[in-house]
Amino acid sequence: MTELDTSAHVGQVDVAALVEPDRVHGSVYTSQEVYDQEMDRIFRNGWVFVAHVSEVPEPGDYVTRRIAGEPWIVVRGKDGEVRVLANRCTHRGNRLCNADAGNSSSFRCPYHGWTFSNDGHLAGVPMRDGYGSSFHAVRDAMGLSPAAAVDSYGGFVFASLNPPAITLLEHLGRSTTAIDRLLAVSPTGELNLRAGWMKHDMRCNWKMVMENNVDGYHALFTHASVYDAVKPAKVSHVPSKVEVYVRDLGNGHSEIDYAKEYSRLDEEFIWFGRIRREKLPRYVAAMEEARGPEDTHRAFVVGPPHTLIFPNLFLAEMNVMTVEPLGPGRAIAYTTPALIPGADEVNEKTLRRSEGAMGPAGFLIADDGEIGARNQLGLAAGSPEWVVLRRGTESDITDETGIVNHDKSAETPQRGWWKHWTQVLTGTAAPGA
Amino acid sequence: MSDLTSLGAAAAVPAGAVPAAGVDPALASFIYTEARLADEARYSQWEALWDDDAKYWVPMHPDHDPRVNVSYIYDNRRRIRSRVAQLNSGNRHSQTPPSVLRRLITNLEVVAQDADTTTLAANFVIYEYRFDLTVWAGRYEYRIRTRGGDLKLAAKTVHLVNAGGPVPTMSFLI
Repeated sequence: MTELDTSAHVGQVDVAALVEPDRVHGSVYTSQEVYDQEMDRIFRNGWVFVAHVSEVPEPGDYVTRRIAGEPWIVVRGKDGEVRVLANRCTHRGNRLCNADAGNSSSFRCPYHGWTFSNDGHLAGVPMRDGYGSSFHAVRDAMGLSPAAAVDSYGGFVFASLNPPAITLLEHLGRSTTAIDRLLAVSPTGELNLRAGWMKHDMRCNWKMVMENNVDGYHALFTHASVYDAVKPAKVSHVPSKVEVYVRDLGNGHSEIDYAKEYSRLDEEFIWFGRIRREKLPRYVAAMEEARGPEDTHRAFVVGPPHTLIFPNLFLAEMNVMTVEPLGPGRAIAYTTPALIPGADEVNEKTLRRSEGAMGPAGFLIADDGEIGARNQLGLAAGSPEWVVLRRGTESDITDETGIVNHDKSAETPQRGWWKHWTQVLTGTAAPGA
Repeated sequence: MSDLTSLGAAAAVPAGAVPAAGVDPALASFIYTEARLADEARYSQWEALWDDDAKYWVPMHPDHDPRVNVSYIYDNRRRIRSRVAQLNSGNRHSQTPPSVLRRLITNLEVVAQDADTTTLAANFVIYEYRFDLTVWAGRYEYRIRTRGGDLKLAAKTVHLVNAGGPVPTMSFLI
């Protein structure tokens, strides 16, 4: 798959005509041709999140994933290296590994018994004498196809299926600060993402899932039932009352940033149910031991990030979400809580908070899924043709952190997403740049 | 496949389990009432069935441990109250209007019994009509307690056959 240029075979829709600075054409969510271009340009030729190192901590540990509909194995070899290998027997194409996760030194195809070591090389071919000598000449080249590039930042493993035009660090750009911010609440700077992924089948375009995650405008309406009937929002959702910012970080990454508001209040754990630090004594001690009291206080005040990393990763405060596109009108949202190694007193609360907010029965995301489904249904109407993203165009500020808007309801993150999306699809920016 | 196998293991019925014909009619009636209230979106009446130490659990795998694994639902009594309050708000968009629901409960068996608590298990199928027809299926486990002449629901666990996911939005009372 590294030799065939598939880009020539996909749709000819001119996506540049579908995106303007403050609006996008509705067909970006509904067109199969646009979707095919996305899978090719964004998911097969750019950096995408595939797994977290804590999911494959030991040699032989693996998880299986799909990227752009293709099956992949993320596996740690006995040399300790994490590889991303096509989950397809090189003989007749059978899907080789059929579990979600496990540990194995090799993968044996159930069809004809070809066996591959977990670093991908072809280790065994039953009844090999039936192949002539010409086969033995090519056998070494018949290992599992690896992703062209695999790299990680802060334990988050990304792959580029085809050779990337830029490095992972170049792709991540300013969004590394968000990963750093998440790791700052862990005494060891590590995370445990092994609680399981909730898999939520959504009847909407994958981009709606991602864009909505950094939409500071919808909460008062989409989630009115939570704030009215269950508990008030952690800080006001009325933009004029808070210093909550939205930010286009560049490269399609964006965030809602509560740090300024939390710092102004100088109150710890607003983001964690306003829990008092006395309730988490071992965790607090471990943090202060590792980071000192000042950095610990700051981490407890500003909390984890609320940041989207283009194209498929969302650091949802103490959750991690990734989205898998399954056609223009369907996506699966995968969500897992971000647990902290050794901090059981925090983790049990994080688990319960995750269930409360996230996933198919979550108090928040179930309604986001419903709104996404209705959004998809609404877009079936051909008129008006455009979706409007004008909020905050006159109050965006460019500074060293990106394009910032001091009104959290501004559509600054969405404009950043679409600008980058267009550049990637039209080839004016490197995929994943 | 492995999920189905382990589902059987998790919900294993010990020898000597009492099959449906032998189940106390009051317990069966309580279970059917709970199902009907959930089907008909009678949220507050449904909530009133629960005991104070309630546990309403929909795991992602039968072998999962809620202390280390995330579940689709793991509600204590307080969160059940919140869930019902949200549903009653009229703004729970994913249940506004409520899904049209009917569920069948069958293969009802008593799996354990002590002085005041009976544990029962049953298979279920739910037909949910929202955007279109969605079929849910799995195994229920109930812990029902006798309290001052009343029956109260102490625990309900829902082992979905598709717990491994993906699962559609599930904000109705399952």
